[in-house]
Amino acid sequence: MSLVNFSAREITCKIVYYGPGRSGKTTNLHYIYGRVPADRRGTMVSLATQTDRTLFFDFLPIELGTISGFATRFQLYSVPGQVYYNATRKLVLQGADGVVFVADSQARQLDENIESLQNLQANLLEQGVDVRAVPLVLQYNKQDLPPELILQQNELDDALNFRGLPSVPADALSGRGVFETLKAISALVLRRLSQESPK
Amino acid sequence: MDRGADAVTGIRFRRLLDQVTRVRGVRGALLVAGEDGLVVAEAVMEGVRANAVAALTGSLARRMRRTADAAGIGFPHFLHLQATTGAICAVPAADGTLVVAIADAEVNVGLLRLALLKVAEVMA
Amino acid sequence: MSTMRAVEGWTVKPLERFVNEAGARLTLLMTPAGQVLAQFGFTRAVDVMAAAALGAAIVSSTAEIARLLEEPQFSALNHQGLRHGIFVAGFDSPRGRLLALVVYGTNSSVGLVQLFFEDFVRDLIAACPVPEERRPVLAEDFERELNQSLASLFRS
Repeated sequence: MSLVNFSAREITCKIVYYGPGRSGKTTNLHYIYGRVPADRRGTMVSLATQTDRTLFFDFLPIELGTISGFATRFQLYSVPGQVYYNATRKLVLQGADGVVFVADSQARQLDENIESLQNLQANLLEQGVDVRAVPLVLQYNKQDLPPELILQQNELDDALNFRGLPSVPADALSGRGVFETLKAISALVLRRLSQESPK
Repeated sequence: MDRGADAVTGIRFRRLLDQVTRVRGVRGALLVAGEDGLVVAEAVMEGVRANAVAALTGSLARRMRRTADAAGIGFPHFLHLQATTGAICAVPAADGTLVVAIADAEVNVGLLRLALLKVAEVMA
Repeated sequence: MSTMRAVEGWTVKPLERFVNEAGARLTLLMTPAGQVLAQFGFTRAVDVMAAAALGAAIVSSTAEIARLLEEPQFSALNHQGLRHGIFVAGFDSPRGRLLALVVYGTNSSVGLVQLFFEDFVRDLIAACPVPEERRPVLAEDFERELNQSLASLFRS
């Protein structure tokens, strides 16, 4: 739920990067952290295992700038992708204003993508939220891998994107598609604030 | 959890506090974790807010220790706060516990001080 | 310079009273999702957000442990460090469940924080207004500004 401070004219929104294990959620945040000027981002907080797998979440606050007279901040979170961390995934998902689903474009990972998308739907539903009501952007990551190993955007759209949501092919390691993804989810989240009152 | 050991500790603390509450005019006695301001054991009459007394006396004792230190007069052995209708007395034990008594205004402070010091000695 | 900031004005007086009485160094009042309603002691907004995210995570994870233990809910949690302690607690208010993260130093104690926290919750509940009708926030044509902001963010 976006937090709007009318007196100080500030908006704070929570964006969660969701998806199967090793799909590149943390890489997205690392890339953003590396590209955003230091005065417009906070410290990146990572609750990770010793092998750098996300254990609880990664967190990166960024200052978007002034939009419609409101200083706008985004809190970017990524969840642990592994199946057995569902409890923590649910916790991080609480109160999300928008979700970026980071899919792994590798053909052999398709089932994991579908399972994770279903898991997102189930976890939102458990919190009384219909996935159709949440701003959602799909990112097809690892598009830099050899073509014979990956599915193309149209194939992934067919498999994952029944609702015609914005989808972005990406290579988060090099940064391709990361900015476009953030832009797409920002527009969806803020569009909601321009159309309806925050709760 | 060793419930037997807990019970023995509870009985031990209760006996110690009894030495304070048996002084005439005492409304309650507490063992307080000095640094935390939390109640370790209590024997107080109804109406005495043990947790509030513990937290605030703990705070007071820490400040008094700093005051004594700043004044170069060593470590406080006995605190006595006389109020209009009662008094609070406390003795810090060497293990960091604070032995606290809440008493009526007319309490025999000398006797109470002795009782508190004895408990503090046992605690240490 | 005052380091107290509140998103909602009704939180200011209870928060001021609490930090003065409990001797808190830092205090955050937030939602369970980690959105900050008021803060005392932090100088950078982004630090506040990181602390809030971590505070909310502590509460969330202990709530899960409570669920596993079939406990109704843990009300508060304290971590004692050498120079600082942190106290995290949740409570119900007319605005739904709220959380507080309190950092205290050697001039205070968990006992004091706990003691005045009860008053803080009472004051907040008394001051909390009935949620009012909210209005749309952003102008319809926000996207041009969004694009400019994002472009400057990525220096593209």
